[in-house]
Amino acid sequence: MKIQAKNIEQYYGIEHVLRGVDVSIEAGSFTAIIGESGSGKTTLLSILSTLLNPTSGEVTFDGKGIGELGNIDVFRRHNIGFVFQFHYLISYLTLRENIALSALDDATVEPLMESLGIGRLASRYSDEVSGGERQRAAIARALVNHPAVVFADEPTGNLDTKNALGVYELFKRYAQEGTGFVVASHDKKIAEYADTIIEMEDGKIVKISKR
Amino acid sequence: MTPIKALRKNRFKTALIFMSMSVSIAAIFLISAISGGVVSMYSAMLKTDGDIIVTQKGIADTFFSDINRSMVDEIAKIEGVREAGALILGAAPVEPLPIVGIYGVSENRFKSYTLIQGSIPNNGEVILGSKIYETLKHPKTINLSKQKFVVSGVFKSRIGFEDGGVVMNLHDGGVLFHKSASIFLISLNDLAKSDSIVKKINALNPDIEAKTTDSFIDSYNQFKIIKTSSDVIGAMAFLMGILGIVSMMSMVVNDRKTEFGIMRSIGLSSIVIIRKLLAETLIIALVAFFFALAVSLGVLDAVEHADKFQGYINGEITVSLAINVFVVSVVMAMLGTLLPAIYAARIDPMTLIQRGGS
Repeated sequence: MKIQAKNIEQYYGIEHVLRGVDVSIEAGSFTAIIGESGSGKTTLLSILSTLLNPTSGEVTFDGKGIGELGNIDVFRRHNIGFVFQFHYLISYLTLRENIALSALDDATVEPLMESLGIGRLASRYSDEVSGGERQRAAIARALVNHPAVVFADEPTGNLDTKNALGVYELFKRYAQEGTGFVVASHDKKIAEYADTIIEMEDGKIVKISKR
Repeated sequence: MTPIKALRKNRFKTALIFMSMSVSIAAIFLISAISGGVVSMYSAMLKTDGDIIVTQKGIADTFFSDINRSMVDEIAKIEGVREAGALILGAAPVEPLPIVGIYGVSENRFKSYTLIQGSIPNNGEVILGSKIYETLKHPKTINLSKQKFVVSGVFKSRIGFEDGGVVMNLHDGGVLFHKSASIFLISLNDLAKSDSIVKKINALNPDIEAKTTDSFIDSYNQFKIIKTSSDVIGAMAFLMGILGIVSMMSMVVNDRKTEFGIMRSIGLSSIVIIRKLLAETLIIALVAFFFALAVSLGVLDAVEHADKFQGYINGEITVSLAINVFVVSVVMAMLGTLLPAIYAARIDPMTLIQRGGS
């Protein structure tokens, strides 16, 4: 899958957050978007992942505009995963129920939890496990339907160094199996794992480098 | 399972929605049951040995009707009439009660009253319904408009108006209320001939008006007023219920914006989220319905047995009323939930997450 964004502009009230952004991302690649806080990383990630409609500009998936993809929620369920900085697990559901919430095939939930090292925590609630385990559950939720691309916004922002490296390793592992990753972070360590590095500043892409 | 977990997680607001629904549903139950009870009690009284009812022509209320009782004998002679009886309907204070239904009846109607003690009344005597007999603590005599009447017997009636009332003979009723008769109740041998007999009765005297009892009940102004009032108050309770649910669900949706944003971000469609919210409110509506039903039955029972009301307030929750209120409860829950749910479903997932609470 190829995701293209053309001339994306985004305003929040009078705040001009994205200024004519053009970017192209191939599924199966590992792309890092880096920049300081307020540079527009999260907004770009939200627009690319269909979680936010831009003020103007167009996002296409294999050449098709959002309006041509049918029900956008259903499209997202089949093709896109999202990992937030904060785990955002639903507090009244167990880890397993959180992961199974959007699963197209319930049988994939347990093997996935096992492979991420949280199988024994299936019946625990998010406030009963550690920060690292919560983020692993959030990653499992994003991966459960084998999406073409997983977007992650500061996925290690709330984790210590050891857990942060664990998350990057997980991404690398799944990227090698064909899942595309687009990770926004101000942590420059992410660049060590990425094939493509997009640097942002003041709502603009200032540099794209390939490794 | 998930809706119940969500309700437990938001238990304070769940409790508020439950209370809002329960109060509305109980209000609809009570107003419908009590107004329906008033209409059905009076209708049942008129329908006892009354296939046709005769009143003064053009009168708005049977209490104001005055017709010549001698006509009842002429009506009794019409072919197809099994029996014709006269009735005086009135009301007067009986100390310490401020108002009591008084019925003066012709001799042939006394058989309609099931005596549980004593005998039918002669001149200067009355029989009391068992409810008022108990309320007045087994009196030997009562005073009506400064006249003393001996209590000759006690009867039992399932009709609250009668069980809380006083029955005397037609002569005494006429003297007390200064009228000949309020209404005639006519029973027929063959109901199929009721229309032709109504015509014959109406032809007897231009000052009287005969109607089949069913058509009289359908057109009786007092019943229309009671029913309209009940419908209006019921509709207000329904609207209050919807507004209560809309405002509570708006707060719930507002509190749970992040949760719905997350659900949308992982690909659950707006329809799935609306269905989840509807499932949650329907569970509350179901529990609230049965709770309100139990409370209403308790209140109706207490009111029916309260001395203060003399059995005049005698509401009944029929199966059809329960089904109607159940449908109303479900509609109320759905309408109250749909507005905030649709509002939430139309917002971008990321906007929901950024604006949201817990």
